[in-house]
Amino acid sequence: MDSQSLISLEFFATLNPGTFNALAGRAFQREIHTGYNLVIEGMSAEACYFVLSGQLRVSRMNRDGRIQILARLGAGEPVNVISLLKEDRINHASVESLTDSTVLVLLANDFDDFLSQYPDFSTALLRNLAKRMAKTTSLAANLSLYTVRSRLAQFLIDLAERPQYAGGWTQDEIAAHIGTVRDVVGRLLREFESQGLIERDRQRIILLDYEALMSEAQNYDV
Amino acid sequence: MNFEAQPIINLDRCTKCGLCVSGCPENALEMTDQGPKLRQPSICTYCTDCEALCPTGAIRTPLTVTWGSNYLS
Ligand code: SF4
Ligand code: SF4
Repeated sequence: MDSQSLISLEFFATLNPGTFNALAGRAFQREIHTGYNLVIEGMSAEACYFVLSGQLRVSRMNRDGRIQILARLGAGEPVNVISLLKEDRINHASVESLTDSTVLVLLANDFDDFLSQYPDFSTALLRNLAKRMAKTTSLAANLSLYTVRSRLAQFLIDLAERPQYAGGWTQDEIAAHIGTVRDVVGRLLREFESQGLIERDRQRIILLDYEALMSEAQNYDV
Repeated sequence: MNFEAQPIINLDRCTKCGLCVSGCPENALEMTDQGPKLRQPSICTYCTDCEALCPTGAIRTPLTVTWGSNYLS
């Protein structure tokens, strides 16, 4: 990826030219194929990454052995930063590529140098972490306030409005995102379909009635 | 484009337990030496049962969310 395309990505756009050039000189590009495990939870953290293209899935294993999907990351997003910031430097979560992807790799030692030498790099990371934390907080609020049915309606609308994230969701992943289990997602999708809110066509979930889905999405758990 | 999606099988994760093959309501899967494969892709209805049955996450039937044509400009 050339510097011009790199600088158009959100994270890099905020860096000073000097920091940007130093990063471009130190980090290296790596192509990974669909299904590749870039980071394995519990292993020693060796690097952080920046997604240049494609999509990665961040997940953690629950105590009962179930996989919980934490996030999906696309172009411009930093990956595995928390693991490098933790004292034990153990990977906090696993990261798998959902599509053929390209990442920029910054090794742990270089990451430390950047943190201490380039304040704008640290600020950009802090902003990104704050953005993700805000997302997690609103997810937690949604889980406690809304019914599963309304969370699913909201989730479907969100995905349809962000086409770059709208594909590649299994029902387990949808369930993990809205805090339920696969069977419930399957049952609710069938209910939405029988009520004419959505239509299923093989891999496609087609949203047919925005107003009705919106009103479902606003149902509080009272 | 009317792309007909098929289940995606990651043989690296497959233990060849055969649950997907025996559980497919259309009998669309068969077991080979390498692992399961679609016998005849056109029989698969993309019901997603095989994904639900697979204990290792080796078989995926991902979904895509889109607006209906009445909302697409
Ligand atoms: S999606 Fe359904 S029909 Fe297709 S292979 Fe899997 S279980 Fe069989
Ligand atoms: S259920 Fe999963 S692990 Fe078992 S044979 Fe099918 S793909 Fe392989």
